[in-house]
Amino acid sequence: MLPQSVWKLCASSLQDELPSQQFNTWIRPLQIDDSAQPGELRLLAPNRFVCDWVNEKFLHRIRELVESFQADNALNVVVGTGKSARPAFTPQAIEREEANAHQGRDQRIESEPYRESMHSGAPAVQSPPAQPPQQIVEVEGALKHRNNLNRSFSFASFVEGKSNQLGLAASRQVAENPGGSYNPLFIYGGVGLGKTHLMQAVGNEMVNKNPNAKVIYLHSERFVADMVKALQLNAINDFKRYYRSVDALLIDDIQFFAGKERSQEEFFHTFNSLLEGGQQIILTCDRYPKEINGLEERLKSRFGWGLTVAVEPPELETRVAILMKKAEQVGADLPPEAAFFIAQRIRSNVRELEGALKRVIANAQFTGRPMDVDLVREALKDLLALQDKQVGIDNIQRVVGEYYKIKMNDMLSKRRSRSVARPRQVAMALAKELTNHSLPEIGEAFGGRDHTTVLHACRKIKQMQEEDADIREDMKNLLRSLTT
Amino acid sequence: MAGPEQLSLGVNLNDDATFDNFFAPTDSGNAQTVALLRAQLAGAADPVVVLWGAAGAGLSHLLQACCHAAQDAGLNFQYLPLAELAAFEPAALCEGLDSLDGVCVDNLEAVAGDLAWEEALFHLYNRLRDRGRCLVVAAAEGPHQLPLALPDLRSRLQWGVSCQVTPLDDAGKLDALRQRAHARGLALSQEVAQYILQRVPRDTKPLFQCLEQLDRASLAQQRRLTIPFVKSVLQV
Repeated sequence: MLPQSVWKLCASSLQDELPSQQFNTWIRPLQIDDSAQPGELRLLAPNRFVCDWVNEKFLHRIRELVESFQADNALNVVVGTGKSARPAFTPQAIEREEANAHQGRDQRIESEPYRESMHSGAPAVQSPPAQPPQQIVEVEGALKHRNNLNRSFSFASFVEGKSNQLGLAASRQVAENPGGSYNPLFIYGGVGLGKTHLMQAVGNEMVNKNPNAKVIYLHSERFVADMVKALQLNAINDFKRYYRSVDALLIDDIQFFAGKERSQEEFFHTFNSLLEGGQQIILTCDRYPKEINGLEERLKSRFGWGLTVAVEPPELETRVAILMKKAEQVGADLPPEAAFFIAQRIRSNVRELEGALKRVIANAQFTGRPMDVDLVREALKDLLALQDKQVGIDNIQRVVGEYYKIKMNDMLSKRRSRSVARPRQVAMALAKELTNHSLPEIGEAFGGRDHTTVLHACRKIKQMQEEDADIREDMKNLLRSLTT
Repeated sequence: MAGPEQLSLGVNLNDDATFDNFFAPTDSGNAQTVALLRAQLAGAADPVVVLWGAAGAGLSHLLQACCHAAQDAGLNFQYLPLAELAAFEPAALCEGLDSLDGVCVDNLEAVAGDLAWEEALFHLYNRLRDRGRCLVVAAAEGPHQLPLALPDLRSRLQWGVSCQVTPLDDAGKLDALRQRAHARGLALSQEVAQYILQRVPRDTKPLFQCLEQLDRASLAQQRRLTIPFVKSVLQV
């Protein structure tokens, strides 16, 4: 009997044996792998989660059933992850397929919107995506860990822009030459700007080049938890040996070390040991090392020994490119104008951008509509309404006034002294950039000024941003507070 | 990692809170949310979903429905109503929860602004994500508006799929009431349902409690649900 026929019988039996929900969740998504070796029945689960579950809970029963249907010619049953060109193997699907084969015509199998995405590879943003088995990093002693690297965080999947150019270049250098002159590599910046992605891309690149490289990625909280546990279990020496033996130690969000003195002490020694041994250290933080309150001075100063790079919020073009790339990764058809619309409205960070895209895709899947600007508007209506409220001209005037410490009356007055005129021009430029109001409307809102005054202000501020670091910084801060 | 104490929190699920029992008009945003949550359980959607909406919209119902559906699928989910648990030590309460298949955190607004809680939830988020586990969070406001103190937690919540759950309008409540009655084997005419809706508090919870009361009385007195009967039982 062909493996396909054996699986058909097996799936039918499981459908009778299992509650329908369990069957639908775990067995229905399994697909048969046509490229399996002779004598092998290879089933493909849509993701690692389903694969592990089937292996743990159902593999034994599947093997029993296969054996009962194929007693004369034993088949080895294996469950892995991946996709087959074939639709999911359910008794119905097999019957349809057989019928199609007989009738010589193609026939799509109908399924629920979300299920369809799981089976056919249609759009479904899923993070983290199914990952290959994790490398286990082990040293002498009791401790062993998964390396925790997310394989989807690679240099290839990172979208480069002005805002992250330096961070990317430094990370590539470190991946080329770990333990070299950029040690430690300290990446800092606001939330959701790609620090973790860059850090893990270095780790993944190191493992790609040398599969035996011991690279450990962890969140600072995990380091603290491991140390506390080691102290409780009287195994601090194992802890030290473990963390000091790796080829690269990647610690995320080290600002959470603040105030944890014992952990800082231990990390200080680990840090020194790794540095002396020429092993690479990469750290991320939400701020510049010197600005981390509650962190020992000696650590702050050591963090600056290698290379410190900042990542900034992505500019519009990069945001569009990120959206297009994310959509492409999940096979979603996002037209450039829809990506542009989202990117124009969501400015703060990449996570928020991705969250918005996931919502749009979920909405498109549910309604069966194309992802055009209308659908984006509908899917994100609460977010857009909130933003419109936040970035109205009134609010821009208030925020800018508070930032430069000038009164609202002055902002709207005819006074032309620089201390008032410059903030007014900044507010006008922001109103032009962040709202959909016309130039005459903006002029009207600033004490009844002409639209040419607004145009002049916009041009002036644009020019000043190129020449004056202070104005650049002011605009960055104001944009951040108005859009997050 | 997980001590048994984390798994035996005194948090009970309401048996009635299932997906089938959640009334969501076809093609509505709420129906989309239910489809998304079901897909999440099947591993076919993002592992992090954030639900938000006003009190009475059914957030707790949906979170508990996730736990029930997970249980039916042989998964181990924990329901965490923070309004009831805020007094616990956050780090201790969240420790080890990443060994479960998923966690449903309700009433996030109850701890918004409390840095210790926010940090504990942020670390829980990271651990669940690292292990590919599910997280469903419900809050009175969306991730953008919640008065959170930790930007890291806000950006993590923004990363998931967020869905606004909207309360039913009167027509929806009427349909929901009749559907519930039908599920209990009670014949509830449009006219009687309308009569009830106009006379009892119109939040879905008290509305359904009235139905339960009517069900018991109807069974005990062997009477059909007529306006005079409803009037006498509910004393309205």
